[in-house]
Amino acid sequence: MGAELRLARELGLVLASLALAFGVGALVAQLSGLSPGPVYRELIRGAFGDQYRIFQTLTQATPIMFTSLSFLIAFRAGLFNIGAEGQLYMGAFFGAWAGFTLVLPPYFHTAVALLVGALAGAFWGFIPAWLRARRGTNEFVTTMMLSYVAVYFTSWLVSPRGPYHGTQWANQTVRILRSAELPRFVQGMQLHWGLVIAGLLSLVLWYFLFRTPRGYELRAVGQNPRAAQYAGIDVPRITILALTLAGALAGLGGAAEILGTHRRFIEFFSPGYGWDGIAGGLIARAHPLAVIPAAILIGALRAGGMGMDRAGVAPADFASVLQGIVIFFVVAPELFRIFRRIRRERRVLVHSQP
Amino acid sequence: MPTEAVRMEGITKTFPGVVANAGIDFSLFFGEVHGLLGENGAGKTVLMSILYGLYQPDSGQIYVREKPVRIKSPAVAIRLGIGMVHQHFMLVPRLTVWENMAVGWEPRRGPFLDRHRMRKRVRDLVEEYHLEIDPDAKVEELSVGEQQRVEILKALYRGAEILILDEPTAVLTEQEVEALFRTIRALRDQGKAVVFITHKLHEAMAICDRVTVLRKGKRVGTVPISEATPEKLAEMMVGREVVFRVQPKPVSREGKELLRVEGLTVHDDRGLPAVQNVSFALFDHEILGIAGVEGNGQKELVEALTGLRLPKAGKVYVEGREVTGLSARDLARLGLVHIPEDRQATGLILPFSLAENLILGRQREDGFALGPWAQSRGRIFRYAAEAVRTFSIVAPSLSVPVQNLSGGNQQRVILARELGRNPKVVVAHQPTRGLDVAGMEFVWEKLLELRDKGCGVLLVSMDLDEILMLADRVAVMYRGEIVGIWPREEANKHELGLAMLGGRIAAR
Amino acid sequence: MSILSLDLFLAALRLATPIALVALGETFSELSGVINVGVEGTALAGALLTAIVAYYTGSPGLALLAALAVGAFLGLVHATWAVYLRADHVVSGVAINLLVSGAALFSTRILWGWRGTSPSAATLNPWIFVALCVVFVVLGQIYIFRTPWGLRLRVVGEHPQAADTAGINVNRTRLLYTVLNGALCGLAGAFLFNNLGRFTEGMVGGRGFIGIAAMVVGNYRPLPAFAAAYFFGLVDALQMRLQAYIPSQFSIILPYLLTVVVLAGFLGRAHVPKALGKPYVKEGR
Repeated sequence: MGAELRLARELGLVLASLALAFGVGALVAQLSGLSPGPVYRELIRGAFGDQYRIFQTLTQATPIMFTSLSFLIAFRAGLFNIGAEGQLYMGAFFGAWAGFTLVLPPYFHTAVALLVGALAGAFWGFIPAWLRARRGTNEFVTTMMLSYVAVYFTSWLVSPRGPYHGTQWANQTVRILRSAELPRFVQGMQLHWGLVIAGLLSLVLWYFLFRTPRGYELRAVGQNPRAAQYAGIDVPRITILALTLAGALAGLGGAAEILGTHRRFIEFFSPGYGWDGIAGGLIARAHPLAVIPAAILIGALRAGGMGMDRAGVAPADFASVLQGIVIFFVVAPELFRIFRRIRRERRVLVHSQP
Repeated sequence: MPTEAVRMEGITKTFPGVVANAGIDFSLFFGEVHGLLGENGAGKTVLMSILYGLYQPDSGQIYVREKPVRIKSPAVAIRLGIGMVHQHFMLVPRLTVWENMAVGWEPRRGPFLDRHRMRKRVRDLVEEYHLEIDPDAKVEELSVGEQQRVEILKALYRGAEILILDEPTAVLTEQEVEALFRTIRALRDQGKAVVFITHKLHEAMAICDRVTVLRKGKRVGTVPISEATPEKLAEMMVGREVVFRVQPKPVSREGKELLRVEGLTVHDDRGLPAVQNVSFALFDHEILGIAGVEGNGQKELVEALTGLRLPKAGKVYVEGREVTGLSARDLARLGLVHIPEDRQATGLILPFSLAENLILGRQREDGFALGPWAQSRGRIFRYAAEAVRTFSIVAPSLSVPVQNLSGGNQQRVILARELGRNPKVVVAHQPTRGLDVAGMEFVWEKLLELRDKGCGVLLVSMDLDEILMLADRVAVMYRGEIVGIWPREEANKHELGLAMLGGRIAAR
Repeated sequence: MSILSLDLFLAALRLATPIALVALGETFSELSGVINVGVEGTALAGALLTAIVAYYTGSPGLALLAALAVGAFLGLVHATWAVYLRADHVVSGVAINLLVSGAALFSTRILWGWRGTSPSAATLNPWIFVALCVVFVVLGQIYIFRTPWGLRLRVVGEHPQAADTAGINVNRTRLLYTVLNGALCGLAGAFLFNNLGRFTEGMVGGRGFIGIAAMVVGNYRPLPAFAAAYFFGLVDALQMRLQAYIPSQFSIILPYLLTVVVLAGFLGRAHVPKALGKPYVKEGR
């Protein structure tokens, strides 16, 4: 019984902070000379107004699901993966490469290409993982730096003088083979099966974290590395596992995006999916099952933002501001809880040795 | 000039669950060294921390130089001329001696630190008190004895006329203790008032003019050194009766040796020997208590026995099989488990659920997992439910975070987990620390159960009463050595108290 | 055409400035025990405010003050979360980065109708900032190691309990230096604007994080951190010149890659303040 109650309370807090965030958002809109009513209306319409728009929202949300899971798995181990954007790019490019270089039967080709993308992302996550586990190098800065490296490196690969420049009119690779395509749901819409893969992955990750010994150990390391060590858990090994897995997830997301939506690697194709993943992971409070709604929320903000823009009531970037405010308020309840605990602690005196 | 430096009247201080000081009176004169003697938990450090402004008393009054004062913070205490040298130094290792001494009272030249003036001041103090130290040395490069000198100099620099030394010899070698005593005598002869907190009898007798003994938060008495004898002080320190809350039943033994320790030497974090050439054996159906004041090597001994610290020398055997240097996990598999002293830091993962904590360290066991990728949830929950029942753990559900449980229940979780491994040897380190009476009784009963079943229990505790109540044999640890092992019938509190204080008794 | 020339070394100095300012600011804050990864967003906010105020008032001086103010404000926000509410330092910083990033895109759109860029506005000579930076670095070095307040700062970050018993207010110290950190990052942002002449959303480009790396390499001392920042600036200047010879992306990558290499090789030589990232709880009372 207690578990359900706690979950309900957590959910309640999240919804309350969302409400608060949107309230503040309305205020910001007002102060910026926009009228909140039409803004929110167009926002919702832009995201969910018709089937086309819903599909758009989900299309935007799909890569964000992957990057949110990526941030989440690292976070659960006490690590900060800020480099999902770069891992995404590595996965995207190498997934595309596998898509136009290998010749394999359909669907099998897709699976292999996705796997290659995941491996590329995993490699990109392994580097900072190893540095952190074996040399104690702070993974925040290293994942961040490698992110820039990946984005520009892949850009070079498809630049006019780069080895994979595929078409004359844009910096991108050749198209992937039909056999490597990740199928879409509806003819003419970009929404692809990556959505389903992401959904399944969130279940898998939930199962991994909460139903397997390895996942248990990973969470233990994230919560109390010392007690974990005393309990015989191999902390460096878990560190490497967590960050490498995080890289693989983001890489997979990148590959899925290419194989499903763009069907070729395009430089700078991501409008910041990696960063949205950090937001998504934080909004989901690091719960794998909450990642789907969190990513959809962010995708909705993006798509809704475009809708607002088209309708002329607000610039698309108001959605980014909303996103920022939402994060602020979703992370904040944690703070209020901490604040309440601090006040309780002050009244209860800490007893050191007499 | 008033000769009475400090008078504390009726000082009472409680923390949740424990009365640290109960109506204590204490007086201190200028030109004397006043020893404060007592076991762990007697309240010595708390009393002096109140004098130094670290804690506020619940009731009572303090007079400094015969004027009533309220000491709200160390800054106030320092202004009153009170200085304290803590057991854990308040020194920044990376900085130099003069920098450590200066902080908060920096001599200035314009906006700058006047390093020349500070260094000169340090050298002046060094000369005045014969405390050799190089002002420019980095604290991390100094020996512990030298670091202590810096702490004393720091207090003197800040104008201390009243000096509190909290267990100053705990970390010193013999020579350093001699040097410290010379310093203390010099300070006293200069008219300063010194409080010397200790548990070492011979030192108290060597340096103090008067000795006040505290026991379980109360003042037992104050004696001038001329009237003090080791026996008298020991008796004051440990008291006469043992309150028996549980009684071990008589039990027959097979004489099987479960644990053997031979010549164990263990170094502490600083590389100094904390455990020196310790040997003993633990047999079936018995509780061997290791008594002693904290800081005499018990922590390192337990860590060496439970796989958390590698011994420098010596061997450990479990049921005749050598296990020296094995990891905690391997030891558990061989039947040696550990009830840790600090349950919240190393024994539990607070945000994890009750069930999850019950398998901490055991999550890969065959009963609970099928390889690293699958857990037998059903079995885990059944085991958890059983454990909750057997150990009477009070919790709303199996999935409640363990941080929501009371200290007593948290300890039961650890007991359930470790005892659930069906061990042969249980090393229990301060198992009743921080528990209320009901919690303590539960732990005691469980330990006796183990003993009755045939296990060997090594009970390491600072609470002599607890040991005398439970143990079949009692050992005393002092300065890293086992100074004696007595069968329970032959052990009496005075002797044990004396041994704990460093008084030498012929071991039987 | 020689790449190595006075021109190169001067350009390096200019490019090093924002990095050095962030490094200096972060040094102050981390020496007191507070990690602030929101430096990237704070610098961006500084650049944005400079653009806005410079455009609307025409006064670059006022714009500079605005940048300092917004930086200090963000520092205050972070300090409140990290020190008083005892939130995770890193999460707080990340939240600030995300919020500022969104706000930047939004503001430029609302104000000027452009997404992520601003029109040009009155600027100051960027060399003023370079001079200020050098002066601050030198002052910082002296302050930290030669003044009483610098001594207290170092003690707070290493051994807050010792500072407490010496009568120093640990939390207030941390608050003040984090606000200072924010202001210096705002200044870095102001420099970026004045250097470019207008605002673009990517103008910080990771320099905040490179600043943190420079601080680590400099072992929490302003002068060596400046040297490290200069090194990164040199690499940055070099890569711009190298673009004629090697693909532009490679030279762009160079500073980032080098940061990783440097940090990787820097095993344990940096002495991190012992109390970094740990909230200070007074016992008893």
